[in-house]
Amino acid sequence: MSQTPQVIEHLNPDRLNAFIDGELPPTECYGIEQHLTTCHDCTLRVLSATQLKAATARAGHRFAPPPEALARLTAQLRSQSQLQTKPQTQTNPQPQTKIPTRIYSIRPAAWAALAAAILLTISLPSWRQLNRTNTLAAELLDQHLATLSSAATPQVISTDRHTVKPWFQGRLPFSFNLPDVAALPPDTTLKGADLTYLNGQPAALLLFTIHKHEVSIFLTQRSTTPNLSTLPGSRAGFTIHTATTPDLRIVAVSDVNPADLDNLLAALVQTQNPA
Amino acid sequence: MLSETNSGDTFEQLALPLIPSLYNHAFWLTRDQAEAEDLVQETFSKALRAFGSFQSGTNFKAWTFRILHNTFLTTRTGIAASRTVFLEDHPETLDTSSGPTPEDNLIRLNNQAALHIALEQLLPQLREVLLLCDVEEIKYKDIALILDVPIGTVMSRISRARRTLRQLLQPQLGESL
Ligand SMILES: [Zn+2]
Repeated sequence: MSQTPQVIEHLNPDRLNAFIDGELPPTECYGIEQHLTTCHDCTLRVLSATQLKAATARAGHRFAPPPEALARLTAQLRSQSQLQTKPQTQTNPQPQTKIPTRIYSIRPAAWAALAAAILLTISLPSWRQLNRTNTLAAELLDQHLATLSSAATPQVISTDRHTVKPWFQGRLPFSFNLPDVAALPPDTTLKGADLTYLNGQPAALLLFTIHKHEVSIFLTQRSTTPNLSTLPGSRAGFTIHTATTPDLRIVAVSDVNPADLDNLLAALVQTQNPA
Repeated sequence: MLSETNSGDTFEQLALPLIPSLYNHAFWLTRDQAEAEDLVQETFSKALRAFGSFQSGTNFKAWTFRILHNTFLTTRTGIAASRTVFLEDHPETLDTSSGPTPEDNLIRLNNQAALHIALEQLLPQLREVLLLCDVEEIKYKDIALILDVPIGTVMSRISRARRTLRQLLQPQLGESL
């Protein structure tokens, strides 16, 4: 590798972690992305760290409240917050649910200062949906990363749509069309395909390259997949874009320039609706 | 906007969707069903009383997790955990070369059992920072507020947690090759 004075050093562990956690300012991310285009070692470290993060996210969602505990917590929350919002009257009965007896006094000013210091990161009512789509984003990214490793070989290795499409017949509960080579955007190649599962649903995984960047395309049946509109548009330096047709949801994951990714998505949507 | 508190959503609307997350986190902290439930209940009681001073438009989730964390520290288990000697809140100076080997990338980390075991072996302080970051997807600056530590400490704990996790997983990674 030729060295230039601008060349940045290998990522140290703290910066690598901050990078995959999305904690670095855009200018610094740009520098790192530039470094990754030429440094195989750091790229492997980033891929590996991203896989570990995605795996930790899934493993950490481990303890769901038992149904009775969930019911008690919900009831407690409802009864307490109703008592709080209604003016207290003598006729108010004591709530039946268990309420901790210890009372802690918290200075309101301290909370106000804390709250003022915390900025809004995500719109609040969408937490539940967000958690689900974050898990899905982790799954998408993990599958995409798995296709990047040299050990992963797709079950169908073919650039020919006439080979790939029939392979899925009988393996998937839906069908889809593949664009022919002329209909693909410039410098875009179909490398192969695989059968996979996304969010517990069978999916077709199509592997493309655009300008040597690997692209994973997931096709699922629209009627069985959750609404993906709140998927993050990017994660850990990878773009995640979604398109839908009347029957299909198509999700693309890649580190290629988002505009190129959208061109491929558009070509795939187009071929599902032949005029 | 800052002068108005809880103008839009009610406490109930904000807090209900957090129950599974808070319970999961409480269980990781206490390792006990009844204790986890009590911890979430107490968190809700405290948060509700303080809700008048919570400003809408700020991060309710981080605010609630801070209450949970502080409440945990006042419990018997929490007091015991906080006595654990924790020497490593300093920038890493050693061992920066222990990155993953390329072989790691050949393996998908989908062995949940191995990860559960590894997470359980992490020091509690390292585990909590990783759960807040990776599972709850809370930003470093908010994690710093929740744990009441500087952001640099959050960063180095995350580095150290992941490095330890990787070392703990190394036998499994080797076997599955
Ligand atoms: Zn490098």
